[in-house]
Amino acid sequence: MNLNNYALIKAATNIISGFSMVTLIVLGVAYMSFKNSFVYQDVQIQIINNPVTGDKDIEFAMIGSKRHECTSTRVYGTAYSKDNRAILLDRFSKQYVRNTTPGDAIPNSWSLVKPKELSPGMYRVSITGEFVCTYIVFKQEKIQSYDNILLIVK
Amino acid sequence: MDDKKNQLIAEQVERWDLYARLTPTAFLLSSIILIIFDIIDFETAFYVGLVGFAITAVVWWWWAIFTIKYLITTLNRASKNLQEVNQEVKAITQEVKSIRNES
Repeated sequence: MNLNNYALIKAATNIISGFSMVTLIVLGVAYMSFKNSFVYQDVQIQIINNPVTGDKDIEFAMIGSKRHECTSTRVYGTAYSKDNRAILLDRFSKQYVRNTTPGDAIPNSWSLVKPKELSPGMYRVSITGEFVCTYIVFKQEKIQSYDNILLIVK
Repeated sequence: MDDKKNQLIAEQVERWDLYARLTPTAFLLSSIILIIFDIIDFETAFYVGLVGFAITAVVWWWWAIFTIKYLITTLNRASKNLQEVNQEVKAITQEVKSIRNES
């Protein structure tokens, strides 16, 4: 190999290595940012038909924005009574809008069937969502909860 | 002794140069292939890269410290030797001047 070819190969490998390093750093930083971000930002969830009477469903309203493309795989609520008894709320009588567009604050709503064991009283409800999020070439399962939603049953 | 050590450092620099030119591209390409064929996920590649980066940084740091220490010692010795030569030249000049004055 003559000196010219050697210098050319050395310069080419230097450039390729530089681009590879930049790609690795950019992908690494993007992955860390994606992995540590929450699914929803500026989120607010409320029960809009408090107090819930009779056999009426529990109606939820939510507003929030997503940073990334996320699909919910499971959403459920847990109602905690004053004596810390947990009651699962996972029967939907009205479904929420799935795959909302990332970026904008989009209102969403859903209704859950009131279970029979939900006796009159005050409850703290936690809504938990399980999601699969994608961003560039990354895919990540995420869980986000929203706690302390007041539920009054009469 | 110094020549041997200098040769060793030159070889080590060459090896670092080769490592810096080949490793990022080799790691990027192998990660892409392994992720595409679903052998590893991105998280594994990320942590392997992070560990590799950390090990490289630590090893390079200590190598650089010892090499700089060696270079400074060599530089000091060379500077001291030069000062001695300078002193001797001055003494010889003085002697030559005094011999000229006497004649």
